[in-house]
Amino acid sequence: MEEQLAELTARIAELEASAAVTNTMFAETYYYLTIPLMIIIHAGFLGYEMGATRMKNVLSSGVKNILAFAFMVPTFYWFGWWVYWAFPTGVTFSVGPAGISGAEYANAIALGWGEAAQYMGPNIADQASGVFWGAFTLFACTTASIMSGALIERIQTVGFVICAIVLGSFAWVVAAAWGWHADGWLVTQFGVHDFGAAGLVHAVAGFFALGVLINLGPRIGKFNSDGSSNDLRGHNLPFTVTGLMLIMVGFWGFLMACIIVPGEAWSWYPDKATTIYGTPITLSALSFNILMGMGGGIIGSWAFTRDPFWMMSGCLAGLISVASGLDLYFPSLAFIIAFGAGMLLKPAADVLERWGIDDAVGAVTVHGTIGIYAMVVLGIFATGYPALQGAEGEVARISLIGQIVGSIVFFLLGFVPGYIVSYILKMAGMLRVPDHVQINGLDPVKVPAQAYPEGIPASPAASN
Amino acid sequence: MGFPYSEADWAVVDGAMFMGAGGAMTGIYTAITIVGSIILLWKCNRVEQSLYESSEN
Repeated sequence: MEEQLAELTARIAELEASAAVTNTMFAETYYYLTIPLMIIIHAGFLGYEMGATRMKNVLSSGVKNILAFAFMVPTFYWFGWWVYWAFPTGVTFSVGPAGISGAEYANAIALGWGEAAQYMGPNIADQASGVFWGAFTLFACTTASIMSGALIERIQTVGFVICAIVLGSFAWVVAAAWGWHADGWLVTQFGVHDFGAAGLVHAVAGFFALGVLINLGPRIGKFNSDGSSNDLRGHNLPFTVTGLMLIMVGFWGFLMACIIVPGEAWSWYPDKATTIYGTPITLSALSFNILMGMGGGIIGSWAFTRDPFWMMSGCLAGLISVASGLDLYFPSLAFIIAFGAGMLLKPAADVLERWGIDDAVGAVTVHGTIGIYAMVVLGIFATGYPALQGAEGEVARISLIGQIVGSIVFFLLGFVPGYIVSYILKMAGMLRVPDHVQINGLDPVKVPAQAYPEGIPASPAASN
Repeated sequence: MGFPYSEADWAVVDGAMFMGAGGAMTGIYTAITIVGSIILLWKCNRVEQSLYESSEN
């Protein structure tokens, strides 16, 4: 009997060890797969902004988007990852209530040298750090790509790369530390809830772009002397629309990466998937609300514009508008909110243009304005929901005031660094491409390749 | 709308957690989306037909 019990105990231990290996491999594979999915976002933005560019500048737009990706990777390795872990409690760099933040913690796990380097390179005892770092690096690439499209056809390449580094490896990372990390002061003190990063990724990137656009100025020919504007159409609308659809594909990976899987030492629960705040979520919840958000945004834009560019922008806006509460919305409510975002899109972009801002792809509106809309709408509908995992009375709850405070902070974290860094670049003569180059085209001057050596025939013009 | 459980703690949630769970709002939201979509299609069809007519002139 005792022998059988010992055998059974050994067998159970063996099965538990096997299950743990399977769970760890699942968790690692889960985040690993979000990385190529998010690279599709970057591919989409590449097509989106190249299509929205006139033929004489198309490869220059492509070059800067590719460089945004390339520079995000090492800079996020050098200091972006450290910023995320060091900043949650604010500029005190102290440890927060969850004990996974502060300068000391960041120094121990997120530096590419010394003792911390064991977590920043191949290590058979660590199957989490690399995939988490990779997923966050692609979040950073997404912010840089969001800004990239707004600035096409007149920004210098190195000046753009510097802006992208400040945004992707610092500004949005601080926003994520404050409003996403379980120790983030916006979360613990104000109950800010932004599951899918509508505020801390989209709004920060959109308003960073606005800060840069103010110093960069419009493309030559965009505005007339009387203040009226001209429509500088891109050379390939189908390319732009397809790019937007690719972005939508990639966002499934982006949002998947916002989930903490169960059963690992770093998980919130042994048996339940959670948001980054430790509150419950399922992939099914995402499926319901992402699709309803996409559908609502497209329909809202179609009803008011009938323009495929704005319809696909509406698709993205619809998704962003419900991103903060993808874990909490009822699908029909998500559809209604996204429909509102789709309707809001074009008028909001028109207002920006009337202010003399030349946002070539509507990035400030789609990501900035709709990002803030998402934050505030969640504050209206989700007031009273616990913002974090924890007992009643011990954790902050979601509130309209908290969401508004979060929105203001995210706006400032985007706009202020964007304005300052672009102002410095402007003073250094590194921001705007000289007028004669803009007139002749950036590609003939800067790119040793030709986009369309055999040309593209024009399609019939729209009759209305 | 408020948290749909008596205790504001996610630990008590073992089922539906969305806004309006267990209440009438879910049906109201769904009804709004259905009726709104039908009205929208009707209005957009009128616009489309007028575009066809104007293209004949």
